[in-house]
Amino acid sequence: MVEPSGRRFSFEGRSRTAQPGETLLDSLVRDGLPNLQRSPRYHRPRAPFCGIGQCTGCLVRVNGRPNVRACRYLPLDGDRVVTENAWPSRRFDLLASFDVLFRNGIDTLHGFRRPAFATPLFHRVVRRLAGYGQPPTGESAAALSGPPDVREVDVAIVGAGRSGRAAAAALVAAGVHPLILERRAETPPLPGAVVLAATTATFLPPRTGGPEGTFEMLAYGEPAQGVLVRARRVIAATGSYDASLLFESNDRPGILTGDAALELTRRGRPPPFHRAVLFGSGDRARTLVERLGDHVSAIVAPGEIPPELVSAATQAGIPLYPRSLLRTAQGRTRIRSVTVQSRGQGTPATLECDALLLAHRRLPNGQLFFQAGARMSWRAGTGAYYPVVGEDGATSVPGLWAIGSASAALGAASVGSGERVASALTGGSVPVAPLDRVRPDGPNELEGYYRELLRAPRTGRWIACPCEDVLLGEVEEATRNGYRGIEVVKRYTGLGTGLCQGRYCLPDGLLLLSIAEGRPPTEVGYITQRPPVHPTPLAALAALDASVSAPEGS
Amino acid sequence: MNGPRRSEYAVAIVGAGIIGLFTAYHLARAGVGPILVLDRGFLSSGASGRNGGGVRQQWETRATVRLARESVASYRHFGRDFGYNIWFRQSGYLFLAETNADLDRLRPVHELVRSEGLHSRVLDPHGVGRLVPGIAPGAVVGGTYLATDGILYPFPAVWGMYEAARGLGVEMALGLEAVGVATRDGRVNGLRTSHGSIATPKVVNAAGGWSGDFSGAAGLEVPNRATRHEILATEPMKPFLDPMVVRPSDGLYFSQTMRGEIVGGLTLRHPPGADRGMASSAAFLPRMASALSRLIPRLGALGVLRAWSGFYDDTPDGLPIIGEDPRLPGFYHANGFGGHGFMLAPAATRRVARTVLGERTDLDPSVFGPGRFTGPAPPSSVERLQLG
Ligand SMILES: Cc1cc2nc3c(=O)[nH]c(=O)nc-3n(C[C@H](O)[C@H](O)[C@H](O)COP(=O)(O)OP(=O)(O)OC[C@H]3O[C@@H](n4cnc5c(N)ncnc54)[C@H](O)[C@@H]3O)c2cc1C
Ligand code: FES
Repeated sequence: MVEPSGRRFSFEGRSRTAQPGETLLDSLVRDGLPNLQRSPRYHRPRAPFCGIGQCTGCLVRVNGRPNVRACRYLPLDGDRVVTENAWPSRRFDLLASFDVLFRNGIDTLHGFRRPAFATPLFHRVVRRLAGYGQPPTGESAAALSGPPDVREVDVAIVGAGRSGRAAAAALVAAGVHPLILERRAETPPLPGAVVLAATTATFLPPRTGGPEGTFEMLAYGEPAQGVLVRARRVIAATGSYDASLLFESNDRPGILTGDAALELTRRGRPPPFHRAVLFGSGDRARTLVERLGDHVSAIVAPGEIPPELVSAATQAGIPLYPRSLLRTAQGRTRIRSVTVQSRGQGTPATLECDALLLAHRRLPNGQLFFQAGARMSWRAGTGAYYPVVGEDGATSVPGLWAIGSASAALGAASVGSGERVASALTGGSVPVAPLDRVRPDGPNELEGYYRELLRAPRTGRWIACPCEDVLLGEVEEATRNGYRGIEVVKRYTGLGTGLCQGRYCLPDGLLLLSIAEGRPPTEVGYITQRPPVHPTPLAALAALDASVSAPEGS
Repeated sequence: MNGPRRSEYAVAIVGAGIIGLFTAYHLARAGVGPILVLDRGFLSSGASGRNGGGVRQQWETRATVRLARESVASYRHFGRDFGYNIWFRQSGYLFLAETNADLDRLRPVHELVRSEGLHSRVLDPHGVGRLVPGIAPGAVVGGTYLATDGILYPFPAVWGMYEAARGLGVEMALGLEAVGVATRDGRVNGLRTSHGSIATPKVVNAAGGWSGDFSGAAGLEVPNRATRHEILATEPMKPFLDPMVVRPSDGLYFSQTMRGEIVGGLTLRHPPGADRGMASSAAFLPRMASALSRLIPRLGALGVLRAWSGFYDDTPDGLPIIGEDPRLPGFYHANGFGGHGFMLAPAATRRVARTVLGERTDLDPSVFGPGRFTGPAPPSSVERLQLG
């Protein structure tokens, strides 16, 4: 695909240009990290957080279509981009007074019941607070309707990361030509394979017609093309993402996941920060130090810091805060500093910074496995469910393989696991190297961390679910009132029901409930993964209506 | 899960959905005790935690209109009575007619509803368009509308009833399964559970989509059939749609909740009994997306956030089963509510409680009684309006 050199669009009425390969967010970030959104209940300023199309920090309205993620959107000539959910403007929002007025939270469960005559008014106010934007315009929808893209293939691979590409390359070498679906727009071609870039697999139901049947996987291409993939075999190499962290004011602009930091600085783009505090000490933290060390001003870790990271940090002159709690972030429209405290009653220290990078925990993208009905097992170390796989990556569902970090293999094993599955699929015609770095499971470091953190008295906002502005106090109230288990607490508080589909709140939610309820996370519950994997435009799904098989027996 | 705390109860209620909880509440209010409510799942794991929250009073059968109207009155005061805000919004139910024949089928309902003193209206396309901004031109020839119908947020209703019943001393055993009943001299005298048996002269079957199974376990053949129904929620947005919209021709229904999401579904025939799982099917998302975005084209640019499914507990005549089973005294039915258990719960369970107390109710046994399927005469009413 040849891109036009520079696309002109308008942002809040001002003309701007996006360079080739630049997303809308890349282009806006050239002027610094923008506050693009407001949180739903308290209208707190929000900014991009994840950089990979999952959080609600960069939702904008493009040509009358709401909830467009600036970090995933490639602007076109003539696009009109505006921000929503703030009045009169995104910089000055009168509704932000709710954050001050409702110090103890807006209690929609028990509040607003009286007086009865005011009910219609309460409904109006609360309905206005919900949501991030106005409904779409008719024109925006008309621009999205198109024909479906239906593919029938032997092998489909979801994800063109390291493991997905390794599997594809090995398959091609053995004479099998897979179809690859990759959510990112920038995906290099792979000779011998068909790559659908900017295409998100969103629903993999159990296969139709028994073990000889095919998978019918629903997907969509940006912005809204319906894609139906009929495949005999599916290799899911969906990877992992950086988790969020709970502390006071954990939703402030400038708090970024490691994913966001890497995404925004890809291909040598300058980072939108100068002095970032880095939280974490594993492989991910080391990658960030290697890539962005000049812009990292301190490393804070919940536990010990391994020697390799210590020496890398020392070389770069970065101070270290091992075994520390991250307590608070200061700053309203942009983080100014964070307060950390060494564990076991240490004195708090304030670290000035203009960003906080979260790189303490990577979570698998396991939705497709749940949807397809694969057997999952709990790994305490990460605090997440992974598909149970054999040596070659075969899940319990015949024809579905799991490789790379979505299956708990890491680093070099990503390539190894890709080769193994290719070998299995082609009857052993691909040579495989031993899997050298499947990560062993271990105890969960965060559990003890949160236990200690939450023991101290708390002030300010602790946002357990930023998408829906659910407060930690509300989750605790549910437990106090006798509502047990993640499924019930989800329904009681709304935790996990927002636009990120729980990615940035349910994993911590499981740990917190496990602590509060005094039972292991596996008893607190299974997080039911409801399709689709990512919000999928109705227009894209509608286009597939004639192509998808009817339910069996109907 | 531990077993029940006592060995003997006055009443045991199987199922802690909205029906079981309301029934327990009414019984406890009437002074009955001790009462055990047991549920093998978590609170709200059944249909009561998976529905669209629609509350309508437009029905084909007079008795149902009355039950619904009484329920609306109860839900209006739910917040005052039970401490939880269910966000009951009386912003109407709109039935769409695509053809004049559709409209003619809606007229008798309209007449019946009016004869009950409810101000149903017949709307022309213009009137429909005012209620559904952005509806495709030519999509309808009109519709019927009742402004006092509405939607509620189901979860707080479950919490409110759970706490109200508990507050009156009802014992709630979550994670406990009922596996059968014990009988003596042809009467119920106990309940067998996954954690031992209890003695009780009265068992209420409020097991929703699994009520047929539980009746079967008690040796009673019943016509209840569980059908899986799928539903989805879109990304939330600012308010734009007030009423619940229903299209009888394909069973499409949707509304915009207080959280801003469009929540709705349509009828997609799943093979009966084939799959008791709660997963979504590949066919539903495209079908529903197509129906919604054809009717209101602007919604095409909105994302689907999540889809799920639940079970209707269907009966052959589309009406619930309420009353003591003539074949097994002490076994009470409070099931067969199809896709309407939430909206009928407050009023219907008042009758359930009365029958459990041995009192007469205003419900005609030939319309609601369990004996109507096994007696010599066929059931005397049929409710075909089987929609959200
Ligand atoms: C998709 C969908 C949309 C709907 N939309 C609406 C609507 O808009 N308006 C409306 O009024 N209604 C609607 N309904 C119907 C409504 O949700 C149900 O009629 C109502 O919730 C039934 O309540 P219940 O208490 O009878 O059943 P449930 O809520 O299903 O509760 C039954 C309980 O019994 C338990 N149970 C079953 N067997 C056993 C056993 N052997 N031992 C112990 N426990 C057992 C189950 O775990 C379950 O919790 C909808 C339903 C669905 C599925
Ligand atoms: S943080 Fe996104 S749903 Fe909770």
